[in-house]
Amino acid sequence: MDEDKTQQLPRRMTRSSASSSPSTSNNIVAAKVTSLEPLTINDLLVGGDPISLDDIISSFPGRSSQILEVVRHLGPLNSPMLPLFVYGSSSTGKTSIILQLFRHLNRPIVFSSCRTCYNQNILFESILNQLLLHRKNAANGYLNAKRCERPSDFVNFLREALTNVISNLKEKSEKLISNEMTQGKIGNMIYLVFDNFQLVREWDKSSTILPLLFNLYDLLNTPEVGLIFISSTSPDTFYSNMGYVEPIPIYFPDYTEEDIRQILLRNQVNQKLYSSFLDVSLKSFCGITKQIDDLSAALKPLYEKYCEPLSDKGKGVAPNQEMKRRLLAHINPHIASSLNEIFKVSSLSSTEVETRKEEKWKGNLRRLEQSKELVSLDFHISTSAKYLLISAFLASRNPATLDASLFDSKGGSDNRKRKRKPSEKAQERKETLEQELLMKGPGTFPLERLLAIFQCLVSVAEEPSDEEEQNNDGLGVEGGNGGLMSDILLQLSSLCNSNFIFKGRSCPIEGSTRYRSTISEDLALKVARSLEFPLSKYLYRS
Amino acid sequence: MEQENHKIKAVSLLRSRICDPKFIFISESPESNYSKLKFMISSSVTEACNNSILLLGPRGSGKNAVLELVIQDLLQEYPDSVSVIRLNGLLHSDDISAFKEIARQLCMEHQLLFSKAASFDDNSQFMVAILKECGLAHKTVIFVLDEFHLFAQGKQRLLYSLLDAMQSITSQAVVLGISCRLDADQLLEKRVRSRFSHRKLLFLPPSIEDSQKLLMHILTLPIDSSFPHAYAVEFNRKVQNIIEDRRFKETLNKYLNVDSSVKHLLRFLFCAVSHMDLQTGFLSRENFEIAFTSIQRQPKLECLRNCSILELQILVCMKRLEVKEQSLCNFNSVMKEYISTLTSERYARHVCLRAFEHLIHRELICFTDNRGQSLSVEFRPVKLLISSAELHQGLRANTSCPPKLLKLMDREG
Repeated sequence: MDEDKTQQLPRRMTRSSASSSPSTSNNIVAAKVTSLEPLTINDLLVGGDPISLDDIISSFPGRSSQILEVVRHLGPLNSPMLPLFVYGSSSTGKTSIILQLFRHLNRPIVFSSCRTCYNQNILFESILNQLLLHRKNAANGYLNAKRCERPSDFVNFLREALTNVISNLKEKSEKLISNEMTQGKIGNMIYLVFDNFQLVREWDKSSTILPLLFNLYDLLNTPEVGLIFISSTSPDTFYSNMGYVEPIPIYFPDYTEEDIRQILLRNQVNQKLYSSFLDVSLKSFCGITKQIDDLSAALKPLYEKYCEPLSDKGKGVAPNQEMKRRLLAHINPHIASSLNEIFKVSSLSSTEVETRKEEKWKGNLRRLEQSKELVSLDFHISTSAKYLLISAFLASRNPATLDASLFDSKGGSDNRKRKRKPSEKAQERKETLEQELLMKGPGTFPLERLLAIFQCLVSVAEEPSDEEEQNNDGLGVEGGNGGLMSDILLQLSSLCNSNFIFKGRSCPIEGSTRYRSTISEDLALKVARSLEFPLSKYLYRS
Repeated sequence: MEQENHKIKAVSLLRSRICDPKFIFISESPESNYSKLKFMISSSVTEACNNSILLLGPRGSGKNAVLELVIQDLLQEYPDSVSVIRLNGLLHSDDISAFKEIARQLCMEHQLLFSKAASFDDNSQFMVAILKECGLAHKTVIFVLDEFHLFAQGKQRLLYSLLDAMQSITSQAVVLGISCRLDADQLLEKRVRSRFSHRKLLFLPPSIEDSQKLLMHILTLPIDSSFPHAYAVEFNRKVQNIIEDRRFKETLNKYLNVDSSVKHLLRFLFCAVSHMDLQTGFLSRENFEIAFTSIQRQPKLECLRNCSILELQILVCMKRLEVKEQSLCNFNSVMKEYISTLTSERYARHVCLRAFEHLIHRELICFTDNRGQSLSVEFRPVKLLISSAELHQGLRANTSCPPKLLKLMDREG
């Protein structure tokens, strides 16, 4: 029995459970298990060293009432249960606590995430593979234990597999009773856990798979089977016009600010220093988001900045009042900019971030000072594609009725000709148009309009040089029209694939495809600036 | 150890009862649906005739449980004359799966080899042949069609074939449809409806008196050798006192006013029993109060209590736009309102966009269009999924909500 225990690997490692259980990580390093050993009934256990309920409660600050609630609903050994619906926002500890509780209770589970099992078939096969103690390897050609596409096949196989597992568990229990061992009891119950259950709503067959899973308790009609659904959305979001049996809800509220403080303080080298750092920063950041993942990522670089004045970078010194004031003065200018950086995902790799640490902070300060400075384009496209992108932007933003005046041979609207006093009606129309643009977003345009605008912009750009003009005429005579057209169409196709331009469906009446520009005005200005193109002259503003 | 054991055993026993439909729905009254259903099916078995019955009632009212009790009794009374085929609309609503499942269960019932490779026609002809043979042998085949309304979708070939096979003189079959839709028979096509006898059994929620009897039936321990006598007597006395308590009756009535079905009541009892104090080993009225509050959830209010200040600000701006009778809004118009309304402590646009997406994920707001790809997030029209009263309540319940925001909301309300 002891040999069996030491060989057990914790088979279900989520990111948060790995970070919250350092001892479990040590087990991975220490374990020596060949991957080719056949699976046994013990592989349905969560595994790892036995953990007490008090350890779990102390590992998850602010979650003691939820932990006790789940334990009570799971009930004593061999006690049947109604289905549970564990719900709460992301990063509230739902999955980690469920797994740690089954580790504590030492009961077998079948755990399936509806994120990795992203459709009906994969979910069915994952459950059956676990119940049938099947591991996909080269010997069996990486096949599943059972192939089932229909719900009816799945339920038949599931009943058969559950019957076998439950009889195995009962045999095991009887042996343990005869040996009078009480510590090794795993009971007769088997629990099916469905994680990330809210994703099932978006599946192709969600209208049939959702009632099936919710009614699985009644379909199986087996008291030895417990069902647990874990979802990040609440039960009322699983709306169905046919209705189904409702599981018992267990709610995991978001962490309070005090809970967040305790969680963030965990694993910090200098508790007092980090605590004084949280005093000045946590409240501001909690105003934006209360998700632990976001806060942890946002506060980490700020804490490094906070520790810069210290000689030892905050490892051993306990801060006194004078030091706190100095650190506060140092960090205050950076808090506001960090607040607005909180959701930005850096495209730099972690090593580059380290080397550019100083540069980054300087860049932030410079960005604050010169907020109106336009940054250059981050990507390269050809000149022709840039003109095409600008043409698409103008075609989307400007009403089609203005094309004649904007894109004449003179090139753009002359501001001097349009110095009129705006009348009340014109002012009202301007506000209505602005509101409409805000609401509807960019409009659609046919391909012909895009090509016409493109030709106009290109011809305007080519005007200055007489020699070039003569050469272009010569090229044009030699059949440049054909080349121009096919090349532009290919570039348009590339821009659509890059999601700079959206290609809509064909209109059955008109029989033509309509396009829409998806770039923002800032990006259009950047592209125009790189071409030294006067974009503002062509934008419609009354 | 021995003392602790019987308390845990008590919890396990009560939980087992709550999870066991056979324990809940037993009733020998001649007026009960159990007796009526048993009489109908028994008559079909003894008189060698066909029958079709619909069991209608809301979810959780015991349709399946009562039927299983009746079938259990019939299998004891007529062990060689009855075989049961069970189908479920969630699993077998397409005809191929249904006929395959019928063939599989018929093969199991009659010790025949089931071929997975059999075609649709093979399976349907097999069913007709078996029904004929069973009729000649004076054996009744009972077909249970759970979620009957799901079989009524599509071309209804299963129902037609089944009821048509029953038209032959020699067959003896009973078709039992179970549905939560009162109009289940109206869903049938004319050719199917004409072959269906319109017998219906309505399953209604129990009255308050019946609910009280059910409570005693479930929650009292047996006075026999399985529990210490003094403990069982004291346990039952306490349960009696709880059930007769006025405050308990108020809580129970409040709970059952929302949904008076038996399954809804069982969820309540399951929560209460799960919270029983294992130190004293007795149920208390507090267990039921805790069960009441833990089951009655207000998810939108819970979401609002969790929101950050920025998310609340966005919701208030959307509510202001709604009050201005602006039927649709999107992120751009919300940002416009946000900039004009909140003069201090404003955040960057992309931070607001991320908070906006959090609200969509929490399902406090949702997109109103169905096309998901054509427009970027800030142009897609959205609407609020909470009422003004809920937003008011949520702002007050949120501990970090600034008073300025409450005033802003009060002004609009």
